[in-house]
Amino acid sequence: MGKTTHFGYQQVDVEKKQGLVKGVFDSVADNYDLMNDVMSMGTHRLWKNYTIASSNVTEGDKVLDIAGGTGDLAIKYRKKVGPSGQVILSDINSSMLEEGRKNLLDHGVIDVEFVQANAESLPFEDNTFDCVSIAFGLRNVTHKNIALEQMHRVLKKGGCLMVLEFSKVENEMLEKLYDFYSFNLIPKLGGLFADDEQSYQYLAESIRKHPDQETLKTMVLDAGFGLCEYHNLSGGIVAVHKAIKT
Amino acid sequence: MFRLTLEKTLNHLINTNNIDTEGLNNKTIGLSVDEFNLKLLFMFTNSRVFVMEMHDQQNIDVDIKLNKTAFLSLFKGASFEELIESDEIDINGSVKTAQQLADLIALTSIDVEELVSHYTGDIIAHQLGKSIKLVKGKANNDKVSIVETLKNDLTTLLVAPSQSRFFNNKTH
Ligand SMILES: C[S@@+](CC[C@H](N)C(=O)[O-])C[C@H]1O[C@@H](n2cnc3c(N)ncnc32)[C@H](O)[C@@H]1O
Repeated sequence: MGKTTHFGYQQVDVEKKQGLVKGVFDSVADNYDLMNDVMSMGTHRLWKNYTIASSNVTEGDKVLDIAGGTGDLAIKYRKKVGPSGQVILSDINSSMLEEGRKNLLDHGVIDVEFVQANAESLPFEDNTFDCVSIAFGLRNVTHKNIALEQMHRVLKKGGCLMVLEFSKVENEMLEKLYDFYSFNLIPKLGGLFADDEQSYQYLAESIRKHPDQETLKTMVLDAGFGLCEYHNLSGGIVAVHKAIKT
Repeated sequence: MFRLTLEKTLNHLINTNNIDTEGLNNKTIGLSVDEFNLKLLFMFTNSRVFVMEMHDQQNIDVDIKLNKTAFLSLFKGASFEELIESDEIDINGSVKTAQQLADLIALTSIDVEELVSHYTGDIIAHQLGKSIKLVKGKANNDKVSIVETLKNDLTTLLVAPSQSRFFNNKTH
């Protein structure tokens, strides 16, 4: 095996990670929204709302939502940017984009563009967007630093990056509870509701392998952003990193 | 939470009143109040402002230091010139830029003392409500939609993060 990286708790060949992640999301796409609600007890909606509200996106803005999946964020951005704005939902996985299309139609949203793209090589011009966001996507990306550099590249000067991702829980008691929940209950719920225990085991493991708040902040700054700060939500179960291209 | 409330309020003011922030574009302004251990960084960009936490050694265009009284009276609309004359504000950099930020802050009519003393969702709702009242008369936009947007954003602010350091140092 050549250079390796983590895929959940397994070490895998760097070249293979992307395909394995694809397998997970192909497998969960159908039940993705239901499972999100079940696993987070609906809280993921509040986390997403928080992210959108603190992005300061406004009318006329151009917004790119990377790893946008079933389009929860894109729907909300669409409302914020109004008719003069533009929202692009991009994801590496065509099954997730397909679910996204259906979901947006169900919400009566038609004016969002879909682009199948890897976060590590974004097919957009430099300095294009007022806001770029990635929610629960970064931890699945093989080369996170490259993806962050790409996000920096496609943002306009003064543009804002929002990264919503699972993070390091602040309190020890909560951490124990959360560990129990993630490793014992989430895979079982995945088995029960989506008939897919293994994929949900990966999701739980990938959360623990993701960089903690301070490490991610350093990575964001290293990617070229002039300012970056984070807010912990739900005791650090998730964190929102907000960065500005200066 | 204070930073978020301030950021939301300022951006709503800028949007709904079409306030021209061109002169502040791409400027970073530091504002600190030692007694509150409060260090804010205002970054103006693309007709909006981001209010972040300021760290030491951060590159800023203008540095404003105020004491507690001056900070509170700024939110009550006190004259910036008078505050400067009475030596309650120390500015490093362009006074004009500092003045522009102060004018914007004065417009928010946030009752900082209230916000600091009763840190609850209701109070924040009330604060945002007040800033809506202020802009209502002037705004061209549909008032209902402004209130709706603020209400949505508010839900969000309520699930918001740990308190900032500011709130660990109560004023009274
Ligand atoms: C957990 S889902 C999040 C979906 C959505 N953002 C949300 O918050 O509900 C993760 C998404 O990341 C996508 N993804 C994984 N690796 C990616 C990559 N390298 N580039 C772009 N998207 C990727 C997956 O296809 C999947 O749709």
